[in-house]
Amino acid sequence: MSPPLLEIEGLSGGFRASDGTLTPVLHDVSFAVPAGAITALVGETGSGKSLTALCVLGIQPPAFRRSAGRILFAGRDLAAGPEAMRGIRGRRISIVFQDARAAMNPVFTVGRQLADVHRLHHGGSARAAMRRAVEALRAVSIPEPERRARGYPHEFSGGMAQRAMIALAVLVCEPELVILDEPTTGLDVTIQAAIMELIAALVEERGLTALLITHDLGVVAANCADVVVMRAGRVVEAAGTEAIFTHPREAYTRALLEASRLGEAAEAVVA
Amino acid sequence: MTGMILRRLLWALPVALGVVSITFFTARLFGGDPTELYAPPEATDELRAAIRERLGLADPLWLQYLRYLGAVARLDFGTSFSTNQAVATDLTERLPATLELGLTGLLAGAGIGIVLGVLAAVARERVPDFLVRGLTLAGMALPQFWIGLVLIWIFFVTLGWFPGPVGRLPIEVTPPRPITGFMLVDLALLGDWATWRLAAWHLALPATTLAVATMAPIARVTRASMVEALQSDYVRTAVAMGFGRRALWFRLALRNALLPVVTLIGVLAGNVLGGAVLLESVFGWPGLGQYALQAIEGSDFAALQGFTVYAALLYVVTFLAVDLLYTLIDPRMRGA
Amino acid sequence: MSASMRIGLAILMAYLLVALVSLVWTPHDPLSPGVGDSFLPPGGEFPLGTDRIGSDVLSRLMAGTRYNLGIALAAVAVALVVGSVLGVLAGYYGGATDVVVSRSVEVFQAFPGVLFAMLVVKAVGPGVLNIVLVLAFIGIPDYARLARAEVRSRRAWPYAEAARMVGNRSWQVAFRHLLPNSMGPLLAFTSINAAFASLVTASLGFLGLGLGPNTPEWGNMIARGQDGVMTGEWWVSFFPGLAILGMTGAFYLLGDALSDLADPRRR
Repeated sequence: MSPPLLEIEGLSGGFRASDGTLTPVLHDVSFAVPAGAITALVGETGSGKSLTALCVLGIQPPAFRRSAGRILFAGRDLAAGPEAMRGIRGRRISIVFQDARAAMNPVFTVGRQLADVHRLHHGGSARAAMRRAVEALRAVSIPEPERRARGYPHEFSGGMAQRAMIALAVLVCEPELVILDEPTTGLDVTIQAAIMELIAALVEERGLTALLITHDLGVVAANCADVVVMRAGRVVEAAGTEAIFTHPREAYTRALLEASRLGEAAEAVVA
Repeated sequence: MTGMILRRLLWALPVALGVVSITFFTARLFGGDPTELYAPPEATDELRAAIRERLGLADPLWLQYLRYLGAVARLDFGTSFSTNQAVATDLTERLPATLELGLTGLLAGAGIGIVLGVLAAVARERVPDFLVRGLTLAGMALPQFWIGLVLIWIFFVTLGWFPGPVGRLPIEVTPPRPITGFMLVDLALLGDWATWRLAAWHLALPATTLAVATMAPIARVTRASMVEALQSDYVRTAVAMGFGRRALWFRLALRNALLPVVTLIGVLAGNVLGGAVLLESVFGWPGLGQYALQAIEGSDFAALQGFTVYAALLYVVTFLAVDLLYTLIDPRMRGA
Repeated sequence: MSASMRIGLAILMAYLLVALVSLVWTPHDPLSPGVGDSFLPPGGEFPLGTDRIGSDVLSRLMAGTRYNLGIALAAVAVALVVGSVLGVLAGYYGGATDVVVSRSVEVFQAFPGVLFAMLVVKAVGPGVLNIVLVLAFIGIPDYARLARAEVRSRRAWPYAEAARMVGNRSWQVAFRHLLPNSMGPLLAFTSINAAFASLVTASLGFLGLGLGPNTPEWGNMIARGQDGVMTGEWWVSFFPGLAILGMTGAFYLLGDALSDLADPRRR
């Protein structure tokens, strides 16, 4: 078993209203993300899975207040203070958001945005950075990457924008850990499969670690080594994918599986 | 792109037509009989009839209207009763003075306003934000002419640092022969730096008044739009990618935040002529505003009509220009 | 109720109170010259001083509230009613009605506010009613635009469909069902429009248009005190400006607070 690259330990916190009251939303969340594989973080809407992921990078909503817990990444507690985050964002940990078009700046070209991030972390000339950006777009199978690099986010389709975001988060940033917050939700089913294939291939080629947040158990079954199940701000169960699908321990996990009718499919696969 | 420009122009024409028509009919319906202005008190009926004939007032209204439209299309606004010149000439003579004041004040106000707005957005709900919001509220709630008077009282009457409201230059100084009409440009071109300093000195207070008035709404809009940009998804992505605060504020968020500000500056620019009336009255500035005021006081309807049409047309043109500018800077508008 | 709204309302209530009180009592007669010596500085019997002809600034300020506040409120009320009706008609019926109303509105918007007011007031003559009507006229385009946008977006909503199916005639659906639900942004705009109206009133008064020369309207007072400023008698023009600041500022504060309430995103 490879040592965990990321460990969440007892993360708790809530949202602070304008009158000062705290509504707790995360309760003692703990799980580990082993290096070199894809770990899935599943749960329904409101389970706190996205919030937890945002906390890792320190980009959680400003109204959220952490009351306890640590976020250990390669020996550092990222939640300890602003100093701890130095050199992490966009360099050692990166993120792919759900709505790729909204996640990109509407007034800059896509190529420019990728190039800017490249220059931020690796320096170099604008031209070299732009070349790198075009290469990255090509590597994620975006056709006519030079032309596309001169285009704006609103000109991209959903799937293509997502590819561009992946190019940015994985190929330009070159992180150790990439967080993917529901990267395929909202896309057409066929495109979903293609995107997941891309992600899996990149993870494999580069020995990346990935934390995949999703509510789609089919995606989990096909791509992920470990699963963490969350519900209402708590971790319900965490185990290897096979174990979760064939021998779920908790009633909630069973309910989830039944609702997606994948338990049977998984058994068929395993058998 | 050209299709869009044509569409905008197509919109502008009926509006311009409407403006000219309304001005014409308002003046005719309510303006009394201009004949009385031209006729000496002891004029006989024949003389009055002759005058009326010459002024074209004997013809049916619709004919007068068409004739007026034709004249306006040729930029002929009639003759001013008080100056005895073509109104068009009057307007062109006085436009640069108003423009010089308007542009200086507007640019200064925009610059300061944007900086204050960004400051308030970045320091949201903290002391700088409250200060800016308070200041801008006062700036918007006070009439420009009062601000001007207060500035005159503080900086001229009490401190004596700036000149009084006598116009663009001290009374005893002869103005240069107009090249562009913009005093600062002309004096620079002529190399007359001594007079240039005087002109700048006289421009200071009125331009500051305008700057104070325009800075307020610009700061508010910048703040609101910047706050929205800072809370956006794309700024969150930029933070996640490791960009620092300064890059975020001044490059990534500001570009987006300035879009509504551009529209606002356009609206303010279009209204410059309206505000000019009050400002020029307070500072004795010899521009279009003063001209309009004199026309009002002297019941010079040709001049008033011309001025109103001029102002409204300027507004339409500015609006068009801003619209086009907006399309250029916001990539999302280009495809449409 | 947010702090802004409370402060705004409180200030406006205070002005309203002053206006009402001024109907029965002011320290001196606001319209009489010579109640004191010319250009007395603030203090003593004349807390805000006297102007060139010896009228009491404070009394005139109080009486002026009736004009500045009254005109602003009246103008806004008229503009709200007429503009909303026009906007609802254009938004609900669409088609030719929409085109006619919208184009007309755009034409009137091309006239810069103060300018248009000046021209019309000069043409129709002085008087409170005329000023109210002119100001209302200037405000109508914005109300019409707003109402039209609101009604258009709600036209296809289920409750509108339901109202139609139950047998309501078109205009009933438009005015009894759609309009009340669109009132939020319209009311928010009302306050800001009032602020604008109050500034235009003061501007017209400053230029000597619209009301008699001795009227204690605040803009007019500022104009009368202009020469005083040059010779150091600052108070005649200064205090009316503060009065305008208070009232207009309160309208803006209230408008901001109402906008926040009406805005579904609720920053």
